Amino acid sequence: MNPILSFIVVLIGVYGLATSKNIIKSIICINITQTAVVLIFLNLGSFNFGDIPIITDEVIPMVDPLPQALMITTIIIGTTITALALMLSIKTFHYYGTLDWKEMMGRE
Amino acid sequence: MNITIIGNLLQILLIIIALTIVLSSDNIKMVIFFSAFSLITSGLYYFNKAPDVALAEVAIGSAIMPLILIISISKQRVFMVVNYADDDFLSSEEGKEGRGYEILASFSEYYKLKLEIHPKEDGEPQGLFTNRSVDLLVEKCPSTNKYLLKGKKSSILMNKLEQMTIDKWDIEVLKIKEGETDD
Repeated sequence: MNPILSFIVVLIGVYGLATSKNIIKSIICINITQTAVVLIFLNLGSFNFGDIPIITDEVIPMVDPLPQALMITTIIIGTTITALALMLSIKTFHYYGTLDWKEMMGRE
Repeated sequence: MNITIIGNLLQILLIIIALTIVLSSDNIKMVIFFSAFSLITSGLYYFNKAPDVALAEVAIGSAIMPLILIISISKQRVFMVVNYADDDFLSSEEGKEGRGYEILASFSEYYKLKLEIHPKEDGEPQGLFTNRSVDLLVEKCPSTNKYLLKGKKSSILMNKLEQMTIDKWDIEVLKIKEGETDD
């Protein structure tokens, strides 16, 4: 597992965020970027000969449990941000009458 | 060794799915591919020795996120009309008929909207645009016998409705600014 391959996914998400016209696509691209960043953090915290961080009787080498605990928080917060953004997109459709960013700014 | 090869193959598959989501334009297709994306990512979390994060991701990313996305997509393109005219211009209780209904139905079919017509409520039509998500208000002017279609000035759907009804002599489209009263 290579962090560079995960970083390519981050770049794809940012590209989609910059070029999309649809609001739903923008929200999904935010989620893609966030998932790939979580993957990079977990990849940096683990190593090959370490084991799953569960304490048993004998002493074994285990991976760092701190990034895992932080990344669970990140996943939950990403879900709530998605729900808030979808609610705002429904309000935006009733105000502007469209879901296209360019039509919304009046540039057609 | 074996797990490393599987992990690299899954990451290449992840790149392909992300490119498919970014290059597609269909909403439902994007949601289904995002669900597959989350499933593959949770497998990669398990290969990175984090089974607790994988459990959270497979529950949230591939079940709850497509659910809320599909619910909000189905609620988005709704065009809500409240009827304040008393005659048969827009009869909403028994069947969907009348001249106004034909105009609004062809309009919403052309722009792929879902039309909802609600009957008149008690009380004054005060604050309907700001408090609730009403798009259009149908009234009859008592002095000139014209039908008034009132909508928000900021919505570009009102410009298109005005262009569609420009050759009907008894229909007038009024655009109301935010914060004005409805009279």
